[in-house]
Amino acid sequence: MSVLLEAKNLSKHFAGLVANQDIKFRLEAGSIRCVIGPNGAGKTTFISMISGHLRPTEGRIIYKGQDVTDLSVARRARIGIARKFQTPTVFDNLTAYQNIELAVLGTNCPRARRHNRIFEVLDLIRLSDAWDRPVQFLSHGQRQWLEVGLLIAIEAELLLLDEPTAGMTVEETASTARLVQMLAQDFNLSVIIIEHDINFIRDLHAPVTVLHLGRVLLEGSFEDVAANDQVREVYLGHEAG
Amino acid sequence: MTADADRRIPTVGHFSLWGLGQSEIGMAALTFIVLGLLPIFVSGYSIYILPQYMLFGVMAMSLGLLWGFVGILSFGQAGFFALGAYTMGLAMQLDLGVNPAYIGMLLSLVVGGTLAAVAGYFLFSAGVRATYFVLVTLALSIMVEQIAVSQSEITGGWNGMFIDRMSLTFGALGEISLYDDAPAYYAVLPVVVVTYALLRYLASARFGKVLVGIRENEDRLTALGYNVSVYKTGAFALSGAIACFAGALYGTHASFVAPSLGGVLFSTEVVVWVAIGGRNSLLGALMGGILVSALSNYVSTITPEYWQLVLGFIFIFVIVFFKGGVAGAVAQLPRLWQSRI
Amino acid sequence: METAISVVVDATLITLVLALAAFGLAIIYGLVGVINMGHGAFLTLGAYLTWAATTSGVPFILAVAIAAIGVGIVGLIFEHLIIRHFYDKPFDTLLLTWAFFLVMTEIIKIVFGTDFRNVANPLPGAIDLGAVKIPAYRGLVGLIGLALVGGTAFVFYRTTLGIKIRALVQNREVASLLGLNIARMYKLVFAIGACAAGLAGGLLSPMLSVDPYIGNVFLVRSFFVVIVGGVGQLLGGTLVGSFFIGGSETLFALFSKQVFAQTVVFLLAIVILRFRPAGILRQK
Repeated sequence: MSVLLEAKNLSKHFAGLVANQDIKFRLEAGSIRCVIGPNGAGKTTFISMISGHLRPTEGRIIYKGQDVTDLSVARRARIGIARKFQTPTVFDNLTAYQNIELAVLGTNCPRARRHNRIFEVLDLIRLSDAWDRPVQFLSHGQRQWLEVGLLIAIEAELLLLDEPTAGMTVEETASTARLVQMLAQDFNLSVIIIEHDINFIRDLHAPVTVLHLGRVLLEGSFEDVAANDQVREVYLGHEAG
Repeated sequence: MTADADRRIPTVGHFSLWGLGQSEIGMAALTFIVLGLLPIFVSGYSIYILPQYMLFGVMAMSLGLLWGFVGILSFGQAGFFALGAYTMGLAMQLDLGVNPAYIGMLLSLVVGGTLAAVAGYFLFSAGVRATYFVLVTLALSIMVEQIAVSQSEITGGWNGMFIDRMSLTFGALGEISLYDDAPAYYAVLPVVVVTYALLRYLASARFGKVLVGIRENEDRLTALGYNVSVYKTGAFALSGAIACFAGALYGTHASFVAPSLGGVLFSTEVVVWVAIGGRNSLLGALMGGILVSALSNYVSTITPEYWQLVLGFIFIFVIVFFKGGVAGAVAQLPRLWQSRI
Repeated sequence: METAISVVVDATLITLVLALAAFGLAIIYGLVGVINMGHGAFLTLGAYLTWAATTSGVPFILAVAIAAIGVGIVGLIFEHLIIRHFYDKPFDTLLLTWAFFLVMTEIIKIVFGTDFRNVANPLPGAIDLGAVKIPAYRGLVGLIGLALVGGTAFVFYRTTLGIKIRALVQNREVASLLGLNIARMYKLVFAIGACAAGLAGGLLSPMLSVDPYIGNVFLVRSFFVVIVGGVGQLLGGTLVGSFFIGGSETLFALFSKQVFAQTVVFLLAIVILRFRPAGILRQK
């Protein structure tokens, strides 16, 4: 499998605060990676640098062999790097159909195919029945899926999901895990997921990267990471502290 | 699954966010028919002056496009309008063998569109805040007025510029003078209808949908790969070109242009028209422009200060309670009706 | 040599006058984020109230004080009735304050008529500094402007009240947790800003012929002063912004018509706004 994304010595300093330091990260095409860590570990900062919302203080980001460190957010989205934000960021006053439509309009999808393409995506995210409702009336979980649907619709190859199951029920969380796995296996998409839900991470059967204080603490399978003493201390220590 | 998809043709289009729904087209058609038949029943001053109000309406639509659709407020539309009038005035002084009015019209489109495109791109590409943009457009209309005043050799300064009524020429097929009321009226009305139709079409086309997306959630749209500043610039350029073009026609119709046409006060009047008429409805913006300006001009002859005072209060009322203006209120009537039954 | 000094003096005076005029806006926009398009109306009202008071025999200083308080009260009423519901909606406050300008201007026209009014210069004559002569009143206004800006900045940066206000501005939630009455703070700031504008209008009135739109000459300029100087930077920002806007205009007016100079300065301000939305001064 080819390397889709590589981050080399990625650092982000704000005035007086080190959010990320010297992160090395590699992701193969068609694979899933969970990024975990206590609050303040720098997970969202890391994702923001990949998506282009933050410029790294140091380091390079290589995507499909191309150095994208200086590309804008929009440009990166066009070449396949798309992001789901921590709070569902969708077009609240538009319907699910109109939401996906906007995403599809940004692709080369020919006009005749558009309608079907929109419903293809809606089917994938189980919103076909709610296609006509303004999105603000959908449940929190449905809006999270809609946002993932937007990323699918623009044919992104690298999905950056920031806490996709936050606020979801147990069933919704399980469905989301299946959705993510399907995206990776059937569509060969790569997914980086920031998550806190242990069950979700376990269901994904995917490698985990643990961040702590802005650095990579450990990388490995879920079982290895869960059993690791340092990781436990970082999490438990954080709670006790 | 896909067979089902074919049956689910969306009826909830973007029209529900822009306009009074599908019924707006019907209302618009009705309005244009009424306007079209009006000269048969009315004559004299009303028919003379109505084209000018209609052109104000076109300018109002240009603001409606920007404000209602994209969510960008501009206090500078009158600046473009005056620019168009002056451009027409200067063009009419040319003697090139071609109908000078046509040159004026073409030039106004180019000047308005280009100026707006340059200014727009300069600001939008840097992500200038919408509120700063308002200030800049305000400054622009002041600048237009000041330049019109200071370059008095060209523009006539405070005294203004006189412009001939244009003629429609069709090459070898002849010429129609627009000197009289009725021909002028029937030359302006199609412009209004075509502008309305054009903007309506854009509303349902890709361009319009993206503009709505920008208004609804610009960050999300950017993160989906759209170059938002290009679209904003396009919208501004279009609105500038339309306002400028309307101004050019106004210039040759009113036969006179003065610097105050491009100044701050008039620019903000346009905002008041559109706010009251309904910024989220193209027809609302158009009718707001025509009716409020007509009413203002009429009442101003009787009691200018009190009318402006009343208008100011109505404006406050609209912003506080009735964001969607009259059109928005009308759009809600069916819902209110249904909830009563 | 003489011309150079008089240019510098001119520029300084204009800077200070502009700073005085813009200060009310700097307070309201900078501290409570209200894009006060009615700022010009505050200035105009201040000028008219001063005129009304002086023509009724009230001594100039008292008249200006009355004007300042009067405008402050009007501002307070407007804030209480309308603005306080819209602090989190900058676009709406922009339009509402503009509506305030429209309404206030018409009220002024109705009450005072549309003729030009003149406020007598309380300090005629000129101060001779050797190399250059300064109109005495102008010089005084410049000094008052400086004192006002400096004094208010002192209040905001050194007194308990001022610190509370700035805390509020920087973080509403924290401020309310600290027990500060937010609504009252906002009212206070708005009223102070209106007062400052009214005061400026009153002080400037002898220097201009007063008409209903006089304040609007300063509206866009004031905004540019505040933006170029840096929104929220009351002392340094206002002075730097005024120096830039006022100074450049003076400079360009040397070489061309006033109108052209103003246009160029506006364009320059727009360019700065585009490249440095936070103002010329580096944020500390």
